Amino acid sequence: MTGAWIKPQITRYNAVLYLLAALGFVLVVIRFAGGIGRVSNLNDGYPWGFWIGLDILAGIALAAGGFIVAGMVHLFGAHKYHALARPAILTAFLGYLLFIIGLAIDLGRPWMIWQVLFHWNHSSPMFEVSWCVTMYTTVLLLEFLPVVFERFRWRHLLGMWHNFVPWAIILMVTLFTLAMSGSNVWTLLVFTILLLWEVAMRTGLMRRDAQMPVLLVMAGIIFSTLHQSSLGSLLLIIPHKLHPLWFTPVVPVFFLLSAIMIGVGMVIFENIVSARVHKRKPDTHLLAGFARALPVLLGLYLLIKVGDIFRTGAAEYLFMFNSAAIGMWLELVVGVMIPLVLFMTTETRTSEKWLLRGSVFVVAGGIINRLNTVITAVVVEKWAPYHPSWMEIAISLGVLSGGILVMDFIVRNFPVFDDRPALAR
Amino acid sequence: MKAMLIDTTRCVGCRGCQVACKQWNGLPAEETQFFGGAGYQNPRDLSSKTWTLLTYNEAQVGDHYDWVYGKLQCMHCQEPACAASCPTSAMEKLAEGPVVYHTSRCLGCRYCMLACPFQVIRFDWFSANPYVSKCTMCADRVLSGQEPSCVKSCPTDALVFGDREILVAEAHRRIEENPRKYVHHVFGEREVGGTCVLHLSTVPFELLGYRSDLPEKSLRRWTEPAMKPIPYIVAGLSLALGAVAWIVSRRDKRMVEKWVKQVKEMQ
Repeated sequence: MTGAWIKPQITRYNAVLYLLAALGFVLVVIRFAGGIGRVSNLNDGYPWGFWIGLDILAGIALAAGGFIVAGMVHLFGAHKYHALARPAILTAFLGYLLFIIGLAIDLGRPWMIWQVLFHWNHSSPMFEVSWCVTMYTTVLLLEFLPVVFERFRWRHLLGMWHNFVPWAIILMVTLFTLAMSGSNVWTLLVFTILLLWEVAMRTGLMRRDAQMPVLLVMAGIIFSTLHQSSLGSLLLIIPHKLHPLWFTPVVPVFFLLSAIMIGVGMVIFENIVSARVHKRKPDTHLLAGFARALPVLLGLYLLIKVGDIFRTGAAEYLFMFNSAAIGMWLELVVGVMIPLVLFMTTETRTSEKWLLRGSVFVVAGGIINRLNTVITAVVVEKWAPYHPSWMEIAISLGVLSGGILVMDFIVRNFPVFDDRPALAR
Repeated sequence: MKAMLIDTTRCVGCRGCQVACKQWNGLPAEETQFFGGAGYQNPRDLSSKTWTLLTYNEAQVGDHYDWVYGKLQCMHCQEPACAASCPTSAMEKLAEGPVVYHTSRCLGCRYCMLACPFQVIRFDWFSANPYVSKCTMCADRVLSGQEPSCVKSCPTDALVFGDREILVAEAHRRIEENPRKYVHHVFGEREVGGTCVLHLSTVPFELLGYRSDLPEKSLRRWTEPAMKPIPYIVAGLSLALGAVAWIVSRRDKRMVEKWVKQVKEMQ
């Protein structure tokens, strides 16, 4: 694997991606030169729109596969899914990097982002979101580093990594707790718990995972749980603007639960698609076992979503003929009901073709849900409704295309889908 | 806590407040256009260059149609949603009343604009280095013991400035003394936890462009239940996930020992 690089090539198939990425780049230059208003339809009534919906809310949900698979394999002991872990971590890592690029385009003054490290506002969900992004991106980078070390055969670095990572994690989670709570007691408590686990492993009381430091995987789950749910918490401050079908005090729970099902769907989707592109055999037998979680997750989501709609008294809005009702039915039918029925059957879970189709429904429904919550569901009185401009959409597609091209390059050149033991190649 | 009382029945629509605001805050003029729809003011709406705006509304007053003036500006909530939502505390509620904006901390995320229940925050959409902007209640003047420039300029005392409790009492006194003249509601007394800008009107507040359906609860009461559990979740997950890892590692160890034993027995 230390041999020559497989260089990126423009083929008939990926030419579209290069074109979209180039167009996106040009539009991003215009956006930074002339302001957000130059390329988008965002306005003072609708300050958030397509970028927040797709690049941030949907993008982060799509990246949820990383913490789910890493947790299953390296913490919950489901070792048989080992082959799914690296691709899922890579997807999540690139997803988060794309998200940060998308965020930088959407923020008015992205170069001031470091301000969140110094001016703590414990009451702001956005403060929580920004800390979770920073922390979890670092976790993903640390989780992905072994792949880089293996590519270049840097064995000594891998050893240092095993040694250094747990301390870095203890520092990060402790600092995070202090920033979120502002309480010395909580900070000390979290620090002590994490330190005890690490000491237990260093003294041999507890066995460590051979490949991933347990604390690293734990931090991934903690930050992801908070990050996915806090994106829902963002909406809690607008009970006066968000449509009753979407506004509920438990929206953070829905965001977390749906992120888990979207993440699972994305792992299946990505495994099959990248297998086809790189002419590999997809891990269908693994995916079949993995997909058994979907009917449970989807069923649970449907149950509590419908229950909550009736509890908050929003059920009447389901049976009107307007964009909100259509939007809600669309996300529930496409993203939840159809895949629920599909994945309940063994035939779907064991057939590559139907696994792919089912996962497309889950992923598409998830994207529709996230776009709905910031576009369809937000109603500002006395303001003309917002529709994204073609340039907003083109910028998002450009960023996404760039991401797919980078992903493709990494998969071709780094040991991502190779599940042989580390450094045995 | 200081507040401002706007008695729209005393307003003659001179827009001296609008000009005084621009002068004190050094805001440039803006190019304006005719527009269709409700309102006859100029410019049409608040902007990053216009922090307060006198609206001209045609409404039925008693038995005839008349001009009714309204004043748009930041309401300086007692528990502002913008300050609760800003990730860097760039929006800050001062004990004296004003909600101020620390420009240097702002990321331009526009979450404050989404959160604001009164739609008063504006963004520089066509700037490469954009800020948000809104009325600051002339915090620099208020902190040095003066009244905001718009209040200072008002020739008919439609705008008065003072302690919030005194102004709330004054507003109720005016309604009681003249119950036929006023709508029996002090807009801003209770909306979203109460604001430091209070309105009196002779026509329903919706006709002046205000929302009458805002909750009395401060909006941060909805985000608090989501923010409070964070340390519990971090500590709880640290404990629970570590325990899971421990149990799984013991199970794996036992399984490996069993295999080793089986292999040995087979030999």
